[in-house]
Amino acid sequence: MATLEGKRPVSVSEVLRYALLTTLMVFFLFPIYWMIATSFKAPEDILTRPPKWLFTPVLSNYVYAFKEANFALFIRNTLLVSVVSTMLVVGLGALASYSFARYNVGKGHLMFFILTTRMMPAIAVIIPYFLIFRTLGSTTLGRALALGLDRPGALIVAYTMFNLPFAIWLMHSFFQDIPRELEDTARLDGYTRFKVLRKVVLPLAAPAIAVTAIFCLLFSWNEFLFAYLLTREAAKTITVGVAGFWTQRGILWGPLAAAATICVVPMLVFALILQRHIARGLTFGAVKG
Amino acid sequence: MLRTSDSSAGQQDNGIIAVDPIRPGDRRRGSLSDTGYAWLLVAPALVIIFFFALYPLGYAIALSMRHVDLTSAVGIGPYVGLDNYRWALHDKQFWVSAGRTGLFAVVVVSMEMSLGIWIAFLLNGVRWFKGLFRSFLLLPLAASPAAVGLIWRNMYHADFGVFNSLMAGLHLPEQNWLGDQRLALPSVMLFDIWQWTPFVAVIVLAGLQSLPREPFEAAELDGASSFMVLRRLTFPMLAPVLTLVFVLRSIDAIRLYDPILMLTQGGPGTVTETLTFYLYRVGMKFFRLDQASTMALLFLYVTIVFCLMVMRRLMRQMAQRAERR
Repeated sequence: MATLEGKRPVSVSEVLRYALLTTLMVFFLFPIYWMIATSFKAPEDILTRPPKWLFTPVLSNYVYAFKEANFALFIRNTLLVSVVSTMLVVGLGALASYSFARYNVGKGHLMFFILTTRMMPAIAVIIPYFLIFRTLGSTTLGRALALGLDRPGALIVAYTMFNLPFAIWLMHSFFQDIPRELEDTARLDGYTRFKVLRKVVLPLAAPAIAVTAIFCLLFSWNEFLFAYLLTREAAKTITVGVAGFWTQRGILWGPLAAAATICVVPMLVFALILQRHIARGLTFGAVKG
Repeated sequence: MLRTSDSSAGQQDNGIIAVDPIRPGDRRRGSLSDTGYAWLLVAPALVIIFFFALYPLGYAIALSMRHVDLTSAVGIGPYVGLDNYRWALHDKQFWVSAGRTGLFAVVVVSMEMSLGIWIAFLLNGVRWFKGLFRSFLLLPLAASPAAVGLIWRNMYHADFGVFNSLMAGLHLPEQNWLGDQRLALPSVMLFDIWQWTPFVAVIVLAGLQSLPREPFEAAELDGASSFMVLRRLTFPMLAPVLTLVFVLRSIDAIRLYDPILMLTQGGPGTVTETLTFYLYRVGMKFFRLDQASTMALLFLYVTIVFCLMVMRRLMRQMAQRAERR
């Protein structure tokens, strides 16, 4: 680890190491390649024996996905739900997390309780959620906020609820790392507590907030079960749309692969662009990077 | 983050912070105490969590103590005390699926941890393309399990799948990956290992890269063997990160749902039915909400106890690190 990496000649073990890594990368990347390749295959090229490696790419699967399954709407819904819930989670989560980190509200018990809400199997709460949103959807306020069944508001609330514990935990150690002295000095300069939070703490915590936002967006975008059970058509998200090509008559592999590509590729690009933040965020700040 | 701690260190040198720190409960201007302020900050998040976690939880507890059968005239029936718990603890399928969930979690988490750590070490020692390899590793974990799961279903296809094409190429017998009683569960495991091994590798790599150099240089001077360095230095220093990955992966592995739905739907028969999937079948297919809620609560209870045990260690480690700094 601490050896100097100068101009050593390439050794046998190094060649072996690269060979191993390349094999592993093929394994990890192949399913994604296969998804994208299948999405550009004409129907007669898809279920073949042996599978086709060379084929004439066509766009018909994408056309089908947008024409037959209203993917434009699913993309809009997914964007709306994941962006709004991410903003809510980051906003509310940052305030709560800061309070836990600085004032130790609830002496750790509250923090642990919040984490336990994350361990509930989604299936255990889905029935109460269903009933809550059915009731809320029939009230005037609920209608105004789109909180009913098959309405985006219901998914926004569900994802906010499921991501908040994670966000609070993720940001906690970052907030703890901000030196208390900075805040004390600002207070002595006449800042109010709220102004300290707004002008000193939050700007310093910006990287942590970015990491949290990335993860919340990933989770909400990729979520399936809640979206599947709480929506019918109007508020359907992309993941549910993908599974929609698994029909009574069988699986429509071409459109399904196109839909899966629409679902997965934006998040891959997103992850690649923000990879430095992700590596740090994944460690919950347990590692200083 | 590094920069902030550096600047604070600089300030300490200048003696700027030698003034009185603000004590908790010290009131300035506003009438709100620090405690009140702290609670005010937590309140919005707590309201959401309490309403959308405690209400459903209470509801589930209530359901677990009643007789609920939406397929019959009973509907949401009378309170029956602990009957459902008695039923669950005597239900063979409950124990079988719980055992399968445990087996699944133990296999995938141990495979992902060992493979992931191994890949991180491999990657940490390379000279070129380290960043590129790391970028590739991020892709599986960013992909939606529901969407990629269906692609894996295609790859596992008994007649037209790439896995069987590979087997044929290697002159090995072709397999019915998802339809074979013995192979179905390992096939689902392989999918999970594919998706989450990179997650472990990326985290451990970040951990390795952030280790301080000095202890390792000292060990080298002392002529410590590389095995000793690993055992006495690297792994102990990585312990907080490893514990964290272990907890995160374990919670997710026992809650596994999407891949089962997309790959096997619990089949063939019920050989890939994990506890969450069995729950789903009882609740959503048989509409026995009482029994489903009961099993969900038992599941939640076990998960919390497990996390309490593991987390206690993690919290202590984190606190120690904070003190040392």
